[in-house]
Amino acid sequence: MSPNIHSLKKQSWFDKSLPVWLLLPTMLALLVVQVYPTLYTIWLSTQEHDAAGWKFVGLDNFERLITLNQFGESVGLTIVFLVFHVALTMLGGFITAFLLSRKIRFSGLFITLLFIPWVLSHVIVGFMFRLMVAPDYGVFTGYLMDPARFPPNGLSILTAVPPKPWIPGFPFPPAPAMWLLILASTWRALPFVTLLILAAIQMVPAEVVESSRIDGANNWQVIRHIVVPLILPTMVVAIFNVILNGMNGVAIIFTSTGGGPGTATQILSYLLYSIGWSRIQFGRAAALALIIALVNWALILATLRFTKIEEGHDQV
Amino acid sequence: MNKRILLISLTIAVLTVLAACAPAPTATPVPAPTSAPAPTSAPAPTSAPQATAAPKPTEAPKPTAVPPTATAVPKPKDIVFWTQFDEKNMDPKSDSAVGNAYLRDTMPQFNKQFTGKWNWANVQKDFSKMNAELVAAVQAKGEVPDLFQISLDINTFVNNGTAQDLTAWAQAQAWYKDLDPSAVSACTATNGKLYCIPLSIRPQVVLVWKDHFPNGYPKTPADFLTQAAALKAKGVPALTYYGSTFGDGNGITRGMTTMMFSFGGKYDDGKGKMLLNTPENIAAIQFMREIVAKGYVTESSFAGNFQEEEAFKTGAVGSFATGMNAYLFLNTLKAPSGTRYAKGNLNDYLDALAAGDTYLAPFPAPAGKTPGCNLAASGIIVPTGSKNLDGAKEFINWIMTPQQNPQFVLGAVGGFPALKTSLSNSSFQTPYFKQAGQVMAASNCRPWFGTLTKPSVAQPIIMTTLYKLIKEDPTADIAAALTKAQEEYNKDIK
Repeated sequence: MSPNIHSLKKQSWFDKSLPVWLLLPTMLALLVVQVYPTLYTIWLSTQEHDAAGWKFVGLDNFERLITLNQFGESVGLTIVFLVFHVALTMLGGFITAFLLSRKIRFSGLFITLLFIPWVLSHVIVGFMFRLMVAPDYGVFTGYLMDPARFPPNGLSILTAVPPKPWIPGFPFPPAPAMWLLILASTWRALPFVTLLILAAIQMVPAEVVESSRIDGANNWQVIRHIVVPLILPTMVVAIFNVILNGMNGVAIIFTSTGGGPGTATQILSYLLYSIGWSRIQFGRAAALALIIALVNWALILATLRFTKIEEGHDQV
Repeated sequence: MNKRILLISLTIAVLTVLAACAPAPTATPVPAPTSAPAPTSAPAPTSAPQATAAPKPTEAPKPTAVPPTATAVPKPKDIVFWTQFDEKNMDPKSDSAVGNAYLRDTMPQFNKQFTGKWNWANVQKDFSKMNAELVAAVQAKGEVPDLFQISLDINTFVNNGTAQDLTAWAQAQAWYKDLDPSAVSACTATNGKLYCIPLSIRPQVVLVWKDHFPNGYPKTPADFLTQAAALKAKGVPALTYYGSTFGDGNGITRGMTTMMFSFGGKYDDGKGKMLLNTPENIAAIQFMREIVAKGYVTESSFAGNFQEEEAFKTGAVGSFATGMNAYLFLNTLKAPSGTRYAKGNLNDYLDALAAGDTYLAPFPAPAGKTPGCNLAASGIIVPTGSKNLDGAKEFINWIMTPQQNPQFVLGAVGGFPALKTSLSNSSFQTPYFKQAGQVMAASNCRPWFGTLTKPSVAQPIIMTTLYKLIKEDPTADIAAALTKAQEEYNKDIK
């Protein structure tokens, strides 16, 4: 037996078990804060509580949820909200970051100002946007309610009913209140996305850009063929964040539109809140939470596929 | 060697975390001083449900080495009470400023009266979430209060196994016979048992600016349309009310139901199922469609978050269909004549009424019908799992005295006191309460949910359906929409 083999055998227990010990605290933390709540949610989704206590109902909660009149409408509203929220946030974030990446005066001040929405809580943002358009005393109410600008009776953002859908059953075009919600959510999310993209743009090697210009590329071609491909991994991270926040956030809806008018802004996360905290049907709320989690997964996988960024080949 | 040290360090770290997460050891019982009063003087009646497993006096450890001092005062036991009010919030602009002040004044009185025995420990809860929080706490066997302030339907709590049956105990108390029957019915679940102790009842009324309706409020829908048209010509909407779906259909507990019931409408079949598609409900919806379409209703009625109040507070609308406790929140006020009532507290509306600028009225009803109104009740439930049942019951007995009941009603939740003798209190002899009493006597007031066993589920379904029919799609088939809504609810009812 060679000394090397002997030494290997002697230390093999440590070598083998050390990673486990190193990972143990993290695994315990994950068990407590992620695994247990997930398993509890799955259990809860198969239960119903009545005066006698919990009882197993199988998949009844899922079935009743899907047959709710409001569920289908809520799915449609979520699609509309997410598409515009993600698109506007990413586009706005990219344009702002690109402008800030140029050497302009006061760019430091602009970046500081950009932080303002980010440091405000969702609740405050929702209230703020509501106060801008609240009937009777909103900042822009006088302007919006002018029949000359918005005939015949002016535009009351919080109470105007949705236009007739272009496709029956699908809530598009959305109610003005939905645009308010999209605007508020985008305003709140913009700083984070802008800073992520700005950091990525600043990491783009200057010589690559200069080379492309020497080769005759114009501004648009530099952005399209040099900058965007190089910052794509960062943009995917930003998209994940915007999707997940948009999909799961309820505070802005709660304080801005309250899901109204009618059900015009009741996206899935609000419906979840409503079922759990107003209707007090925790089992059904857990079932919806699982559905939303699956949708989140699907959206993330779709984003990965679409942008061709996957583990092992994250270069385009 | 380094690996061993690392391994040992990690093990210690993990054990430390586990030790920190472990439940705290049970506190050693503190020996009661010999001078301490005997355990709870008012034992729970044997018929009381779910009596807690309180240790028997004989099990208490005997005093040991530490001799009691003559001045020793036993530490009072907490009575944990979840309310929507916060005694520590001194902000006069707070929406709950009146209730907060009530707690600040009253809690010391209680604690002084029960020195060394009970301590009133108030836990403020967000009004919109406190019901769900209680249900979650009970169902998860978490920290459950001893008392809980309710202002909604009792059936939701009963259906979720959250409230204790207080029937036998309450009937054995002296104050029970003095309770207003409508207050008792508001606390009685569909199974016929009493699950809450009513403290006040709050009928819905219509607050009217006299300048806009100088000859009295309309008695019939036809009169209303005539007078509303005249007001509209002056640029004044006739009515404001909570007509939005904001708060998951909370509007159903307010002016919406006043109008529906005034046409003879209802939401249940009397046997626990939802019944919306009735001729009376359809007539009410048609009326509401008309007044909304003609601009007789403020647009802010549909904005939610109590936005509808603003038009009334500035005198810009003729009337406001709301609860009789609204005066607690309507401050400051400006009458249509320009007179301001700006004390910034509950007296603003009362002063305006005393000055004759405003009055109360029932909602118009068609010929042969009685004006309707939703009857809400404020009360107390003893949640399942309450740790201090004796304290909870003694607290209820204390607050159900003719001295305390009116104070709670006037200072915290509004409405009429649940005790009939409390009505003779001079505070309820004012013009405001006299008018409210007349409105209630002229109306058929009852809880909106009737026999529905899941009111919290029914509420958003009904309110969303009514809103859509009245405001969002005023050409939709009313009967079809009502049928669809009732079927959705009834699917869940066995």
